[in-house]
Amino acid sequence: MGPKDDFPEKERFSVSRRDFLKTAGVGSLATAVTAVGVAEAEAQTGPRVVGPGEVPVSLMVNGKRLDLKIEPRVTLLDALRNRADLTGNKRVCDRGTCGACTMIVDGRTLYSCSTLAVDVEGKQIRTVDGLANGATLHPVQQAFFDHDSLMCGFCTPGFVMATVALLEKYPNPTRDQARHELDGNICRCGTFVRIMEAALSVKGVARG
Amino acid sequence: MAESQGRGNQTPESPEVKALAKKYAWPEKPALLSTRVKRLDGPDKVSGRAKYTYDINRPGMIYGKIVRSPYPHARVVSVDMSAAEKAPGFKAGLTYKEPGTQVMYQGDPVAAVACDTEEHALDASRLVRVRYEQLPHFANEDQAMKPDAPVVFTGGNTKMGATEETGSVDDGFKQAAHVVEATYSTQVITHVCLETHGTVCEWEGDKLTAWVSTQAVHGTKDGFVRGLNIPASNVRVITQYMGGGFGSKFSPDAQGLICAKLAQQAKAPVKLMLDRKEEHLDTGNRPSAFAHIRAGVSVDGRLTAFDGQSWGTGGAGATSGFPLPYIYDFPNRRRTHKDVYINAGQQRAMRAPGHPQGCFLTEILMDELADRVKMDPVEFRIKNLPPAAPNAAWGEYFAIGAKEFGWDKRHPTGDPTPGPIKTGFGTSAHRWGGGGRGTKAHCDIASDGSVVMKCGTQDLGTGTRTVVAVVTAETLGLPVSAVHPEIGDTNYPVSGGSGGSTTAASISPALRLTAGKALDALAAKVAPHLGVEASTLTASNGRVHVAGNPSKGMAWKDACKLIGTEPISVDGEWAEGLSSTGTSGVQFTEVTVDIETGIVKVKRVLTVQDCGLIVDRLTAESQVHGGIIGAINFALFEDRILDRNTGQMVNPNMEWYLVAGMSDIPQIDMHLVDSPVQRARGVIGIGEPPTVSTAAAIANAVRNATGVTIRSLPLQPYKILQAIEQEKAGGTL
Repeated sequence: MGPKDDFPEKERFSVSRRDFLKTAGVGSLATAVTAVGVAEAEAQTGPRVVGPGEVPVSLMVNGKRLDLKIEPRVTLLDALRNRADLTGNKRVCDRGTCGACTMIVDGRTLYSCSTLAVDVEGKQIRTVDGLANGATLHPVQQAFFDHDSLMCGFCTPGFVMATVALLEKYPNPTRDQARHELDGNICRCGTFVRIMEAALSVKGVARG
Repeated sequence: MAESQGRGNQTPESPEVKALAKKYAWPEKPALLSTRVKRLDGPDKVSGRAKYTYDINRPGMIYGKIVRSPYPHARVVSVDMSAAEKAPGFKAGLTYKEPGTQVMYQGDPVAAVACDTEEHALDASRLVRVRYEQLPHFANEDQAMKPDAPVVFTGGNTKMGATEETGSVDDGFKQAAHVVEATYSTQVITHVCLETHGTVCEWEGDKLTAWVSTQAVHGTKDGFVRGLNIPASNVRVITQYMGGGFGSKFSPDAQGLICAKLAQQAKAPVKLMLDRKEEHLDTGNRPSAFAHIRAGVSVDGRLTAFDGQSWGTGGAGATSGFPLPYIYDFPNRRRTHKDVYINAGQQRAMRAPGHPQGCFLTEILMDELADRVKMDPVEFRIKNLPPAAPNAAWGEYFAIGAKEFGWDKRHPTGDPTPGPIKTGFGTSAHRWGGGGRGTKAHCDIASDGSVVMKCGTQDLGTGTRTVVAVVTAETLGLPVSAVHPEIGDTNYPVSGGSGGSTTAASISPALRLTAGKALDALAAKVAPHLGVEASTLTASNGRVHVAGNPSKGMAWKDACKLIGTEPISVDGEWAEGLSSTGTSGVQFTEVTVDIETGIVKVKRVLTVQDCGLIVDRLTAESQVHGGIIGAINFALFEDRILDRNTGQMVNPNMEWYLVAGMSDIPQIDMHLVDSPVQRARGVIGIGEPPTVSTAAAIANAVRNATGVTIRSLPLQPYKILQAIEQEKAGGTL
């Protein structure tokens, strides 16, 4: 129930605009008007206008280049889940509240359900799918396993990514730091106690 | 509740089965049972490798989307698919509600489409033109109960139940020195499974394979068989992993049948997962509960009488029952319950259905009564408990809990400390059934020593897969890693749905006896080589050996080499004697309340809980955490809000439908009662009991902190401030 991260104003704007487009799309008229408004606003400030049909998008995901053809409205989460079969991160609330879709983009956590894939071209995207080294789990993943920090496991990928980001920011976090950094994720089974135990048990994860 | 409940002799067991159940009674000194075994599928879940239904991507798969009623009550006049059919990527479409029929709640499914991409499916669904004739609706219980309300539900807007009565209520009130009379209530909440309901359906000729997010693979298969009118042999349901159910996922539902039909029409696999709004509107909820109660207590603190009229809504035409009064012994009591129908999605079982409501309504009343006779709430409760039994050990648990919690530091109602932050303690008791029966299993042991245990149960996050491995490994004297459990598929032997905390108690005996039977078969091959009778053999520490003489035997691998090319392959099933039913528990909470902002913080929760024989202590503890945290949500945050005029849910998302985050989590302590008495009862189950008491105990702690009684959940800040202001003005809510 807390804000996700201290995003710069520019990035925050791009997230909320997309959210607005998605939720406002009840009537086609409203969507059309909004879309024109956004296009005009962008024309004035300079960013390229793409779409509405499929466009080539090139993403750097877990260190590998991924070339996709998708509509510009497709989110980063959906692009990876539906077009690249990278299904580790989950779609749950689909509007930037629960954190199950948390990825790390250029070193910061990001709600991939509320980020357009076209907006993260050229950035380094890390998902839970790329965290383990073959059969060897990342120390955070190992800690979640050891502490039974999961039940149904649907929030787990997002929590794992948020915990990785926490430990990259604070290698030896205090309980308060961990609580703050993990407050943007929701678990419904109630695994929080053991997620905190896991987060505090991992020491000195190198910045990835 | 009698201890023997659920152990009735419904299916007579053969002498062989009885002998097997006796031979394979739970071991007195287990190697694995009740230890902390890490979740077998943990690595798959933490790495993202685990494939949930939502993650199934099939070759050529397309996406389904349901068109739902925007109105709480309307007649469908026409459904026009023509524009949708011309939409890009359209592959299939169907009308689910024929013109002339009625929709009874916002979100009632009306039509559906399938398109090549998810985005196209959303576009096409918006092009389906449905004309509605709006009809009168009820958005809350008061509207439906008005004497002059229009008839919205055929057969009546309410349904009165029979009066339950014990003793003489009039006599009871004559014995009362004090009487409390008030109205109590709890709100509707939704399950909020993180993986929404949904399916992937794929046809091969007339055979359907359905990946379903379900807590009952076999039950869901039956649902497809009946809903599609196809032979049972043509349906296979698979659920390897599922993202939460909490009682809401037992059948294919409308979306499952729609998905199968779209897949049939499109001749392509279809994925149809609900979005978050649909999940709130149409996949179940916990009914509301209201009760107007009069209750009496004698001058020496004995309950004398209870007279309650209760009601609640389970939505459009569904029930809303709950136990009342809860736990405590009112010698004279009367209760009537009325189901109230409103135009909202139907209720479904939700983690300990009925009990959190009945518990809250009764436990707040108990603290009010205790105050009338100036007794400590724990002492007062102990004085009014029903007779103690292994499944009714509250008196003992209250004593243990009070000591461990430091209950003696509780101040009387109303924290006298100056300043805005008030601290309070609260307590509550609960019970649950658990138990269960009727599971079958299949065990294969091959000559390479490998063990496969197949059972058509499923793991909804409780750790069922691990339970299968633990029980099998314990029986065969092997490490957990030596057993390969196969679950979550209707190709495996039948097991029931995972509801009512019955999974562990219905599968564990079946697994134990199936593994025992397999071991007996292996012993028959080994015995001649050792020159002993097969019946003298047992297995432990990776060896098959003479019981009591581990050196007279052989290593598991060597024993299995005697199996030959045809593996040992046995079927087994549940039998009596290894499981039981009925649990009891108590909880204690400490909260702080900021009386300037109305914000409640839960600081500590302690639970004393039994659950029979613990299979895996690690995952059992996680279940207790989960139950308590779920109930903190019920106590403080969750509320399905319907607009009183339009009947629209105003918070069908996860930002305004509030659930706890990391900052809301208290210290949780638990005392799992693992006494010889409890162990001897066999496996019972622990999924639901811990979620019953917490909200009541929190509410009592808030009352203890503020000195103000709030008789309705959730305990939102505005409600607390309002209650404090009203108290100052001379009356309570």
